[in-house]
Amino acid sequence: MSGIDFSDPATIAFLTDALTAAGVSGLEISRPGGQLRIVIATGNEARIDVSATSQPAPAAQPLMTVKAPMAGHFCPGSPLRSPAAGRLPRTVSAADILGFLRVGPVLLPLCAGRAGILTKQLAEPDALVGFGDPLFEIEPQS
Amino acid sequence: MIATLNNHMPLREIVPAAQGRARISSIGARSFLLEAPGEFDLAAQRRIWALSQTVRGWPDIAEIVPGMTNLLAIFTEAPEDPDTVVARLLEAWDNARGIDLAGKTIEVPVHYGGEHAVDLPALCDLARLSDREVVRIHHEATYRVFALGSAPGFGYLHGLDQRIYMPRKTVPSLKMARGCVTIGGMQTGVAMLTGPNGWNSIGFAELQMFDPTSPTPAMMAPGDTVRFVPARIEL
Amino acid sequence: MIEIVETGPFNTVQDLGRPGYRDIGVSASGAMDPLAVRIGNILVGNEEGAAAIEVQTFPFSLRFDRRTVFAVTGADGDPLLDALELLSWCAYTAEAGQVLALKHPPTLARAYVSIGGGLDVPSVMGSRSTSLRGSFGGNAGRPLEKGDRIAVGNSTDLAPVPANGLAVIEPAVALREVFPDLVDGALPVRALPGGEHALFPDDGDAFWSQTWKISSRSDRTGYRLSGEPIKPTASIEMRSHGIMPGVIQVPPGGEPIVQMSDANTAGGYPKIAGVIECDLWRLGQARIGSRLRFVRSTHAEARAVEQAVARYVKDVRTTSEMVKRALRAMA
Repeated sequence: MSGIDFSDPATIAFLTDALTAAGVSGLEISRPGGQLRIVIATGNEARIDVSATSQPAPAAQPLMTVKAPMAGHFCPGSPLRSPAAGRLPRTVSAADILGFLRVGPVLLPLCAGRAGILTKQLAEPDALVGFGDPLFEIEPQS
Repeated sequence: MIATLNNHMPLREIVPAAQGRARISSIGARSFLLEAPGEFDLAAQRRIWALSQTVRGWPDIAEIVPGMTNLLAIFTEAPEDPDTVVARLLEAWDNARGIDLAGKTIEVPVHYGGEHAVDLPALCDLARLSDREVVRIHHEATYRVFALGSAPGFGYLHGLDQRIYMPRKTVPSLKMARGCVTIGGMQTGVAMLTGPNGWNSIGFAELQMFDPTSPTPAMMAPGDTVRFVPARIEL
Repeated sequence: MIEIVETGPFNTVQDLGRPGYRDIGVSASGAMDPLAVRIGNILVGNEEGAAAIEVQTFPFSLRFDRRTVFAVTGADGDPLLDALELLSWCAYTAEAGQVLALKHPPTLARAYVSIGGGLDVPSVMGSRSTSLRGSFGGNAGRPLEKGDRIAVGNSTDLAPVPANGLAVIEPAVALREVFPDLVDGALPVRALPGGEHALFPDDGDAFWSQTWKISSRSDRTGYRLSGEPIKPTASIEMRSHGIMPGVIQVPPGGEPIVQMSDANTAGGYPKIAGVIECDLWRLGQARIGSRLRFVRSTHAEARAVEQAVARYVKDVRTTSEMVKRALRAMA
């Protein structure tokens, strides 16, 4: 589990900023050992619940996922590659840009991060995704 | 054909740009040019100087550029209603009462004639004067700096004797040297940059008139008096 | 420091220009595509007006001598960092020794390299722009040459650029509602009638209705347009007056000149029209040989476009700062 402290007011403030900027009404993050829910109420005030869960951490998977680095709109595809390169499955290298996370006019490139076979796209184009949501599945090449 | 008053046309056909009342036109959406009516003279320019002082203080002005009996007012943004801007400028013009700027006197030593005076023979033909007379008429006059522009530190000088008016060239000289003493229509000045130039050269001056690192980069300022002093006459 | 490894002629250091000195004859200069410079600077965490490199002849490459944040904006085409293909309109962090290379863009004219901390050349008369006519400002008042080393300022931006980069939806896409696309291959350029418009017959029809080509005698000072010459009905000798980038003058030959960033400060040719200020960046990205058409505009339209651009720039600034802060908090 990452070292994010969801009880840190600063972190929550940043997340709230991000959600507000993205026009998102709420966000729920479930992680091994904890759950965070932020709901942006009218007037931009956030209600935040942080709760511990008793669910055990899932077992290590053979698949690796590319996750959303923050909340935003999912934009699959890369301007650097021909449209034909969008089919699945396909081989990708670590530096390949698989898509973007769009927050307002800002785009965060989503890199494969590792070489492998891109097998799945896990969110619909332009879907609103939350921090940590899995977006792509990559099968490591042996 | 435009702006092609050739050497055979009588001089009185140099038409003032503005006749009647002040004229205002646009350059793009943020800039407005006010042209004073009437003669190209010191009285009109003194009102432009007064108008400049007023307009410079408007909160929505980015920059002003006084020209020869005209003023370009550059606003910070495109106005909601251009008619309001036009009305404000016209009102400011109507209220502008000529002021005199207390300037300094600058003496510019000139080498009249010689290799840089490439247009002197044509001017003599046009004016039906000898080269000696043209030079004498040019250096005996006292000039006022009306405005700066065109090149860093270049002063447009008023006070040219109408006997040596000479229209700008249709085809500019491609590489006129910095320092050339020139005549363009009813105006005279000293070229500040080496390059293409449509004015007519009759001599050369050695004076440094612009330094970008100085707190006051330009030597000349509107209102200054300029005298051309013959350092050498080579005819 | 950055070191110029390869450059064509007339690539210069430019910021948003040196306004305020036209009244002593000093051209404002500044980037031909100021919107690209503003966005590039925001991406790398600078003030919008920090000095950048304007690349208008390619190929161009430079080497970073230390870890440096940079972004390439403006022209289309993808820059290379060593062998890695990058995105335009995206801030990255280069490591010491890496080389950034820009190839000839597919369709546009000018690329801008913004550097975190800005280029630390001396400010002359309030700007770091190169005045090519005046031979001052920028990098010793002259275009960049191979081997030039340029100091980089210290970045005051505390939030790091994300590891995978920080990009924006470029202005041409984000603002496509207010910047219409090419029509039959010609760039629509909005303009207002100028002071001597009435001198041209048929309400200037010959000017507005034809497609003009940007001739090879075009540069940062102005674009000379080729087409069917247009002639006024009367000849006048204008008194010298202030002019601005965007003014469209008609010299005796009848082929218009549009003054650009290094515009002269004064002129006397008849002015048939003036390009609205917020369309100048598109003209700055139009290449020699490309075609354009002038479209009659209004002050109200120009104001609406200005406001849309201002909203976009503000949105890019606040959102990019917020995203960087959020990512740092979650890192």
